[in-house]
This record gives sequence, C-alpha cells and structure tokens, in this order.
Amino acid sequence: MHDLGEHFFRRAYGRLVALLSRRQGVHQLEAVEDAVQFALAAAVETWPTSSVPDNPEAWLFRVAHNHLVDEARRSTRHERLAVRYGAEAAMADAPPAFLEGEVRDDLLRMLFACCDDALPVESQLVLALKVLSGFDVREIAERLFMSEANVYKRLGRARQRLREVEFELADLTPAELASRLPAVQTILYVLFTEGYLSSHADGAIRRELCDDAIRLTHELAEHPVSAAPETFALLALMHLHAARLPARQDGSGGLLLLEEQDRSRWNQREIETGLVWLARSAEGATFSRYHAEAGIAAEHCLAPTLAETRWERIVACYSLLDQLAPSALHSLNRAVALAEWQGPLAGLALLDGLSPPSWLIGSYLWDAVLADLHLRAGHGALAEQHRAAAIASAPSAAVRAALERRLRSR
Amino acid sequence: MPRFLCLQRSFPATGGGERPSPAQMQAMYAKFNEWREKFQQNLVDLGGRLGAGRMALPDPPPDGPLVEAKELVGGYMVISATSLDEALQIARECPGLVRPGSGVEVIEVHAPG
Repeated sequence: MHDLGEHFFRRAYGRLVALLSRRQGVHQLEAVEDAVQFALAAAVETWPTSSVPDNPEAWLFRVAHNHLVDEARRSTRHERLAVRYGAEAAMADAPPAFLEGEVRDDLLRMLFACCDDALPVESQLVLALKVLSGFDVREIAERLFMSEANVYKRLGRARQRLREVEFELADLTPAELASRLPAVQTILYVLFTEGYLSSHADGAIRRELCDDAIRLTHELAEHPVSAAPETFALLALMHLHAARLPARQDGSGGLLLLEEQDRSRWNQREIETGLVWLARSAEGATFSRYHAEAGIAAEHCLAPTLAETRWERIVACYSLLDQLAPSALHSLNRAVALAEWQGPLAGLALLDGLSPPSWLIGSYLWDAVLADLHLRAGHGALAEQHRAAAIASAPSAAVRAALERRLRSR
Repeated sequence: MPRFLCLQRSFPATGGGERPSPAQMQAMYAKFNEWREKFQQNLVDLGGRLGAGRMALPDPPPDGPLVEAKELVGGYMVISATSLDEALQIARECPGLVRPGSGVEVIEVHAPG
C-alpha cells in the first residue's frame, strides 16, 4: 500500500488550487476549488481499489483539470468567459508532469494573493486556511473559534475581492511581492500563534496549525523574493516555540507552565533548527519584532533550568520588541521577566507606570501577572483580589487550572 | 468458500449531503485501507464504480422498458465468506458503502466447484 503521508490530501489541495489558479486566473478560484475537491474525491474512490498512481499529484492535477474543462463546456456562462479569456486554449496543454519548483512558486503566489491589505487580517487568515491549508468552513470555524456563518461571510468577501481586482498570480512583479511580504509574514505569524496559544482542547489540532505555518514559512524562506532576515527570524521563532510544544501539556491535556515543564521533553532538533535560522536572520542590518521574539524564545530554549535563565537578556529583548511593535502586552511580559531578574517590586514598578488598554485589563493575563507579583511581594489582599479576577476571566478550563495552581503555590 | 456479489445501491440522499473536507477524505482513505487489510483474505475482486454501458439485444427486442443496471447499481465487488451473514458484515464494515444515500446488496453467487 502506497503511503501518502499524514496530510497528503490537505497539502495536495493547497498545491493544486494554487497551480490551477495561476493557469485559470484567480477569478476562477471557486471553480478551481470545486475541481480539486472533485479530483480528491475521485482519488479516495479509486486509489484504494486499484493502486495509487506513481505520481499522485500529477494524477490529481489531470482529473481536476479535465473536470474544469468539462464544467467550462457545460456552463454557458463559463463558455462566454472561456471565449473572452481564451481559457480553454490555455487549459488544453496540461503538462504531463509539473516541476516541483513551479508548484512551490504558485503556492507562494497564492499566499501573497491572500494577503491583500484591503481585507482584514482575519479574512486573510480564513482565505489562507481555506485555499492553502485545505480546511473547510467547519474546520476553520473550529480552529479560529469563529461561527461558521462568520467564516462563510469572510470567505465570500475575500473571493469577491479577488474577482474584483482581477489580480493575476502570474502578473505579480517582484516589487509587488516584496511590498506584500510584511503582510505575508504577519499572516503566517498569526497562523502559528493560533495554533500555539489556542485554548483548543485537542493538541493535534494545535500542532496541525503550527506545522502548516512552519511549512509555509519554509517555502517563504527558501524563495528568492521572500528570503529576507525577517522571514528567517520568523521561522526561527516558530521552531523555537514548536520545540517546547510537547512539554506544554500534561498527560490529560492540561496546560503546563514554564516552571512546571520537563525540559528534557523539549525537542532538541527543533531547537537546533531554530538556532540555525536565528543565525541566518542575523545576517544583515535588519532587526524586526520577529528577531526580538525569536531571541526571547532562544533564551528560554538555551536555559538548562528556569533559575539559570538569562532574564536580563529577555528583558532587553522585550524592550526592543516594545519599541518595534508597541503593545501593553509586551510591557506586561517585560514586567514578568524583570520580576524574575530583579524581584517582584521591580516588575510592579514597571506596571505602575503603564496605562493598559481595556482589552488587556479585561483579560486574565493582566490580573494573573499582578496577582503573582503581589503574592511574591507579600501583598496578600491585593494578590487575592487579582487572583479572583484572573480565575473569573480565564478563557478555558486548562488555563483556569493552571492559574489556580500557580497563584496558590508560591 | 462461497462467493458473494456486492452491489452498491444509491438512494435519494436524505440530508447529510455535505462534501467531505480534504482532512476527512484522508481519514476515509486510511479507513478503507484498514478495512482492506483486515479482510484481505475475503476480497476476491474489489470491483469498482460502473461507467457507461450498452445492451446487446435479440432481434426483435423484447417488450417493455429495459432498466439499465447502472440506474440501480453504483458499483460492485466480489468477496468470499462462509455465510451470507459474514459477507454482509464485511460489506457493512466497508467505509463509505453504507451511509446516508447509499447501501449495499449482497448476493450469493452459485458456481460449480
């Protein structure tokens, strides 16, 4: 039996949608997605009873391509389109096999197409998960904690936008690609974070999102138009976080805090890969927020124990991060690191000078940090007050359990 | 061992017509392979889906409407089993065969020998 690999169908979906969209035009995206879906269904039906073709993707490509041609002939509306765009002529010469490099190029172009700054980031993410990661509406809703109706709406608007701008993948110039690169990095960062920080109970689902983000970022890092220090730093950051994923959960799916994690379960190969990309990201004069975040992750990975963490370096990285991408959340994290380095009062002093936005005050993080710092500083009443608030606003049972442990035991 | 012809019969779907996602198709594919592995001794001919067909008829043709098999049957396979019950169980366990909109008819094949 031919082994297709764990995510073969989803990956083939993304690759074929990109490949066919480039040939057919992005305005045909829905027809292309239908055709690829049809080809995958045909594969599920025929491969197990006959055998898997030598080149499964080329087989899928031919079936999807033929389906598109049939559908175009069947529909009068598409017939007119076909005449206008000469689509049928373009479709007639399907390649017997396609070049790996070409598909990867198409995949990246599709990613760039998703990152249209006329769309909100959430919609870019929804579109990327649909066309590149091959998730359906229900699966996207589950992963992003959105309603299915919301996912539908976002997808509809995103596709409409692609039709309106008559944007063609093949037409993207290197300059245009370069100008969209920050948006592409953002979307991959968000995709990774969705997986890494998700309160999703199913660890496999979180891992899947992280792996998809890493896979696409590798494509980005290895392509000449997007092989930039920021991309390398982003990739380093992902690997250095992914290294610690297996240790973040206890046997029953509960969340483990950094101090509770068994560091021997950190994936050393991931750490090494992350450090290699971090070194590459340092070539050149750029220092981005991804550099700062990768630097923080690297410090955690390199510390043999929590006590041996070089907190002063982490504080410095958070300061840089706060300058590059100002956010009260970064200040909050800096306060935590500072408290580890110079004691709880130093952390509290930093937070005193802060006027946090309402979203942060309303989140459990703010109260959890204050509760912890006050507890360690011996301010019992204040600690209890913030502890109660943090636990009350915990977004999931796993987070609540972690808070209850942490804010009691020290 | 007796042989059985399994005919996939399609019925008008009653809801649940949602298309599987690529991840679900991956799972279906894996399940089918597991099933195939489990019953490899029983699977004589995995058959397949029925395509276009034509009938060769005597002259003059018989009266009445002639229903083509394809109208009734989506696909076929041949399995071996010790009894109709066992054959039915094997077919029932085949992923994707018995579901909303599809069922399977299992018929013993009488052959000499």
